Amino acid sequence: MILTEAAAQEITKKIVALSKADSCTVTISGYDNRHIRYAQNMATTNGAPAGIDINVESHFGKRSGSAGGNDLSDEGLAALVAASENTAKLAPENPEFMPPLGPQKYGTCTAFAAATREASSEALAAAIAPVLKQAEEKKLQAAGFLELGTSFSSFGTSAGLFVYDQETDLLHTVSVRTPDGTGSGWAGTTLTDFGKLDAAAMGAVAIDKAIRSQKPVKLPPGKYTVILEPSAVADLVGILVGGEFDQRSADEGRNFATKKGGGSRVGETVFGKNVTIYSDPNDPLVPGSIYSTDGLPAQRTVWIEEGVLKNLQCGRFWAQKSKRQPVPSPTTLTMTGGTTSTADMIKQTKRGLLITRFWYIREVDPQTVLLTGLTRDGVFLIEHGEITKPVCNFRFNESPVAMLNKIVALGPTVRTYGEESAGLPLAVPTLLVNDFTLSSVSDSV
Amino acid sequence: MGGCACATVLPSALFLDARHAAAIEAAEQLDLNGRLHLADVAMETAKGGGASYADFRLCRYQSEYFEVKEQRLEASATGLSAGFAVRVLLDGTWGYASSPLATEEEVKRATLRAIDVARASQRLQTRKFVLEDVPVYHDRWDMPMESDPFLVPVDQKIAKLMAINDAALKAGANYATASFAFVREEKFFASSRGSRIEQTRVRVMPETEVTVVDQATGHFASRAGFAAPRGSGYDYILGYDFIGEAAKAAEQAREKLKARPVVADDYDLVLDPTHLWLPIHESVGHPTELDRALGWEANYAGTTFVTPDKLGKLKYGSPLMNIVADRSQVGGLSTVGYDDDGVRAVGSEFSIVKDGIFVNYQMAIGQAQLIGQKSSNGCAFADSWSSFPIQRMPNVSLAPNPKKCSLDDLISGVKRGIYIMGNGSWSIDQQRHNFQFGGQVYYEIRNGKLGGMLRDVAYQSSTTEFWNSMDGLGDASTYFLGGAPNCGKGQPGQSAPVSHGAVPARFRKVAVLNTGRKDLS
Repeated sequence: MILTEAAAQEITKKIVALSKADSCTVTISGYDNRHIRYAQNMATTNGAPAGIDINVESHFGKRSGSAGGNDLSDEGLAALVAASENTAKLAPENPEFMPPLGPQKYGTCTAFAAATREASSEALAAAIAPVLKQAEEKKLQAAGFLELGTSFSSFGTSAGLFVYDQETDLLHTVSVRTPDGTGSGWAGTTLTDFGKLDAAAMGAVAIDKAIRSQKPVKLPPGKYTVILEPSAVADLVGILVGGEFDQRSADEGRNFATKKGGGSRVGETVFGKNVTIYSDPNDPLVPGSIYSTDGLPAQRTVWIEEGVLKNLQCGRFWAQKSKRQPVPSPTTLTMTGGTTSTADMIKQTKRGLLITRFWYIREVDPQTVLLTGLTRDGVFLIEHGEITKPVCNFRFNESPVAMLNKIVALGPTVRTYGEESAGLPLAVPTLLVNDFTLSSVSDSV
Repeated sequence: MGGCACATVLPSALFLDARHAAAIEAAEQLDLNGRLHLADVAMETAKGGGASYADFRLCRYQSEYFEVKEQRLEASATGLSAGFAVRVLLDGTWGYASSPLATEEEVKRATLRAIDVARASQRLQTRKFVLEDVPVYHDRWDMPMESDPFLVPVDQKIAKLMAINDAALKAGANYATASFAFVREEKFFASSRGSRIEQTRVRVMPETEVTVVDQATGHFASRAGFAAPRGSGYDYILGYDFIGEAAKAAEQAREKLKARPVVADDYDLVLDPTHLWLPIHESVGHPTELDRALGWEANYAGTTFVTPDKLGKLKYGSPLMNIVADRSQVGGLSTVGYDDDGVRAVGSEFSIVKDGIFVNYQMAIGQAQLIGQKSSNGCAFADSWSSFPIQRMPNVSLAPNPKKCSLDDLISGVKRGIYIMGNGSWSIDQQRHNFQFGGQVYYEIRNGKLGGMLRDVAYQSSTTEFWNSMDGLGDASTYFLGGAPNCGKGQPGQSAPVSHGAVPARFRKVAVLNTGRKDLS
């Protein structure tokens, strides 16, 4: 359910007018989605969910409380304000309270495409039909998910800030399996514009990988040179920068970026010289929201520049206390790529593995950001510059901090989708990485 | 964009201006008659649109969340979310739509939208969905509860969290986080077959964690609490010794910093139920979901090694292994009267693994006949008013040993092993073979006795190898109900609460690795 900017602003003004608190913030968000889910070459659960949420945070001095709901009637809004104020009055003072921001300067949101907003259910089905046809023709089993969404969000404060953002996004992932159960391939991406989706081409990639990955051989676990395709890179980079880049926990001694003896490693060369990662809400590959935490404008932020740790996310309180500028959470992530094609990476690899994507990644050790997870949907052995055979899946135990120190070559940056870093739009390259730790073999396909 | 006779509801029709927004009527304002009327509107509209089956769920979720960091209130939030979904089956194709606007006009519009989605998707329906008959119910079910958490004053709940962190900080923690989340889930279900069901249940979800820091070395260690989320009232919070555990957690976190690193090798493991509920969830709960076996989750959660040809044959584990599924266990997060297909769940307990043999899947409606069975066993769940019900876990639990057996008895049978409590990291592959689990605290076992604390422990195994290595099991006196409030599955992703009962168990010769890699520090 989408509110126009004017409607969202009117509701925000109503709430601010109803407020008896010293200050308040109002967040409104809504979505209007359509999706087709398919498996075994047929549609399974298809839907058109829509929803809306309003959240009011009230402050009395340094006491805060919030209330959320989805009743937009005048009575509903009044009840929401009262609930947030009642909660705030019962709260103890928060010594870290920061008053709401006043008006800010924002850019223009570019993450919107009318073709996505206006697509009909027929258009979704038409996009998927050739995927299923290709799979049927080759006697393979396709499963996937196509979701188109329009969403909006607004953030307003009693200090006069109001920002509105409307975006469209699309997710298509497709898995293809062979009937003997020994082969599986995958392709997936997010996009802003439905007009740019070529689902059939994605289906073809998944089909090709499914066929080529049949009857894999078992290789021993160990350290391997690997070519990580973009989805796999997105997972590792998204988890590291999206989840671990936090200034406060680094300063407090409980983060990978903590320096021995106190302080953080910001400014130090922590990663390889060929690593640069940044956020830019106007990146044409991955446009994102124009605002972030507390209504702060989303701006181009360099997290890692040529291996140097440049910035960690930093909330307003901690920024004030530590005499820094706040660094809001990223709304997108882009890793600067290189010029080496995947074919050239394969050619220059004497012995290694090509990995399609990862699955079920969890943190094992927050000190080192050691992660474990598994490969999925296509692992291939490279010998003397050529792919020679499909390989069984592996469990890995590796840290993205270490991985970003072992990059040998980078491909061009592309927009992709990482299942394990879902939520953050990402554009990353394919990477050729040395000494990636694969710790056991999985029998799963 | 293609055309369709029923495509009268374009997405742009849902772009609201303030005038329309003000007309939104919350589902909470409806009495039973109002709900019944809206259900009738949905059923008539669905029938008029050609649907052979339809159901209507009108739900209301009340929530509270409080989080305290050290002695600072980080979050104090209440929530109320209400809305409905209509699901239709049109010539064997599903379509659904949802909306927070619980008005007659909107119910009609959403139902037409669901029909539009189903009709458009029919070109992809190479095999039609067929639903089995299920009995019709007119009923109301309410979770029994002693103390409603929403009636407990907010300041009391915050004070409790402050006290927990105070205990941790006094015991030596540098940082402490404690939170309570509460949810009241109210569902009204109506189906075109005639069922009309109202249900209410409550979940309480406490979480605690302490961290200690050694600034000189740059090392830190955390210890998360063992309190499980439950389908209970506030009485569960009052009855749990959070203060005692907070102090113990701080002490154990300090001990972790000085603990001896494990030497990677095969060890006998004694797994405490505060840990074992999660391996049960991942390596037994998920693999025995029929939608995974049918390939319906292939693109996301995955398939399963437990294929239908293994039904009644697969030696899942040792004869000590009995896995039972229920939706009636007191305190269970999956405990409910009826599932979200309207199938009666109370009294539908069943075995998944009996004496080590795999004997049954978890099923939702429209699945059983595909493996030659008669009907669903009541395992459908939708995590929100806006979600499509899919097969989700009931409470899936490891039955206690009928013979007397204590934790000490299990430990006494180990020459060289490790005792693991709590959950650390966890990961399992997409067919549920290969897994890796860590815990919160690890103690060495030497010659039948507990020794000092170990660190950097994780174990890897594969599902049937692991469960077949189980040779010891605690009795009913050692039973613990663990669980997760947020099990993920489905596309769009859904988050389900589920409990798992467990007793301590002993597993022989499991591969343990050292996760403290020197090359990373």
